Amino acid sequence: MSGATSEPLLRVEELTVTFDGPRGDVDVVRELSFALEPGGSLGIVGESGSGKSMTSLAVLGLLPAGARRTGRISLSGRELTALTERQLRRVRGDRVAMVFQDPLSSLNPYYTVGAQIAEAYRAHRQRATRREARRVAVEAMERVHIDDAARRVDHYPHQFSGGMRQRVMIAMALCTEPDLLIADEPTTALDVTVQAQILRLLTEVRAETGAGLVLITHDLAVVSEMTDEVLVMRQGECVERATAERLFSDPRHPYTRALLDAVPRLDDEVGELRSVDEGGAR
Amino acid sequence: MARFLVSRLAGVVLILLLVCLFTFGVFFVLSPDPAVQICGKNCTPELIERIRDNLGLDEPLLTQFLTFVSGLFAGRTYGVGESATHCAAPCLGYSFQSSQPVWEMITDRLPVSVTVAVGAAVLWLLVGVVGGLVGALKRGTWWDRSAMVVALAGISIPNYVFALLLQYVLVVELEWLPFPQAVPFSEDPTRWFQNYLMPWIVLAFAYASVYARLTRANVIDTLEENYVRTARAKGLPGRLVIRRHALRPALTPVVTIFGMDFAGLLGGALITETVFGLNGVGKMTADSIARNDQPVIMGVTLLAAAFVVVGNVVVDLVYTALDPRVRVRSA
Repeated sequence: MSGATSEPLLRVEELTVTFDGPRGDVDVVRELSFALEPGGSLGIVGESGSGKSMTSLAVLGLLPAGARRTGRISLSGRELTALTERQLRRVRGDRVAMVFQDPLSSLNPYYTVGAQIAEAYRAHRQRATRREARRVAVEAMERVHIDDAARRVDHYPHQFSGGMRQRVMIAMALCTEPDLLIADEPTTALDVTVQAQILRLLTEVRAETGAGLVLITHDLAVVSEMTDEVLVMRQGECVERATAERLFSDPRHPYTRALLDAVPRLDDEVGELRSVDEGGAR
Repeated sequence: MARFLVSRLAGVVLILLLVCLFTFGVFFVLSPDPAVQICGKNCTPELIERIRDNLGLDEPLLTQFLTFVSGLFAGRTYGVGESATHCAAPCLGYSFQSSQPVWEMITDRLPVSVTVAVGAAVLWLLVGVVGGLVGALKRGTWWDRSAMVVALAGISIPNYVFALLLQYVLVVELEWLPFPQAVPFSEDPTRWFQNYLMPWIVLAFAYASVYARLTRANVIDTLEENYVRTARAKGLPGRLVIRRHALRPALTPVVTIFGMDFAGLLGGALITETVFGLNGVGKMTADSIARNDQPVIMGVTLLAAAFVVVGNVVVDLVYTALDPRVRVRSA
């Protein structure tokens, strides 16, 4: 999208996220490095607690209180860790937008969805009028296929279904035309049928805008369809990084194999669901 | 919306009727014979009998209750012939001790109680909410700790202790305020203000402490909500994140308890009014209890209940406006 092709869109080097625990510091992410080319897609998979979400929050400096990060994070060659809060604020939502896991709790129940989308737009287009921001909100809602967007723009989050709320979140992320979309478990809180719709929407939106995607999930099937490259995390560390294709055909790390084995299959003869530990990760 | 309002108002009427029945039961059935009390010192059995007859005390209880309720709407006349006394339409009863209808006694004193309540409310909302906000946003700092220590003191120090202490320091020792003395606003606004200042501070201190702690806890909770993280991820400036996304959800519950507290206070601040010698509904209640003037106690109880019940409905309506989730669907 922007500038020289030699710079990756996102480069993370030796990222470590540390929490102050009651019994000393705990590293939830340890020396993680990866890069994403402009328009590229990367899946980060792992179990709960493997540090995937913290990685995504660390990129935009949104870590919860009590967490610290070290390492380098650069966006198109610009070092994000060196930015002031004010400078970082201009990157958030504008060049890098996020979609979170639970769309109900991630939308403020007190404001209409239109107001919340318009707010994201106006945060970065200071000269935009209210009317213009509203029009952008309606357009963004139309782009994510919310029917009757002109009327729905004035509805509150609780008046939408789970899938529609996630569409609103995606519309909110899109309205500023970001270069990078970070989706943190975007389908985990949704029904299986709705999951597929949201994933299709994300693919469609990326094809339109050319935005890069970091997709965080615990679902291997999702990354196999959605991303070119996959990074497998375990206990804060990267255990394997490969193209999606190779990862599934030829998993190198025992943990990755265990993860793949744990995916239930219809033709499985064992009859019992395998957990990762039984699968021989160690 | 209209249906909601009608059903709520029907509820109000029902509750007030129940309160009526309850107070009537407690004061007229369980307490000592009103006729004996009215009769006074030079009492004869014949006199008591006549009073009973005049007041309808020998009637069945249900008849007495219905007479009382109808008096609320239509007024009633006590006694017959020469000694008859009329009690006009919202007749809450008649105080034979002060020879005045209860309604009149209350309306005479209500402005004082309302002044006390409104002034204190403004003060406690301001101090409580700002204090709680500072505590939440500067959590763990010196500001936060001192605000919360003061709030703890406000909750634990009894009203009358603080009132007497304040009076001693401000009036006797420092002489910053003159000795409290009732002066109408129109006569001397400064004096009027000085007269109400201490009651306001005393009442506000206790309430503000509760509000500060509540506000602090609510704001801290709200700041951890996912939608606050979303607001930050959108790139909103910090103060907008707090103002728009944290304050409104955090302060909505404060509105709820404010409505209840304020309505409760309109029924009179017993201790504060008594300590500062303010002739409001609260002091009247305290005096009536001391004299066992039952019609007055009953009238005040009913009035206070009415304030709380109506206040509750107002809170519901305000809440509907503030929180879109409780809005009744119009479609």
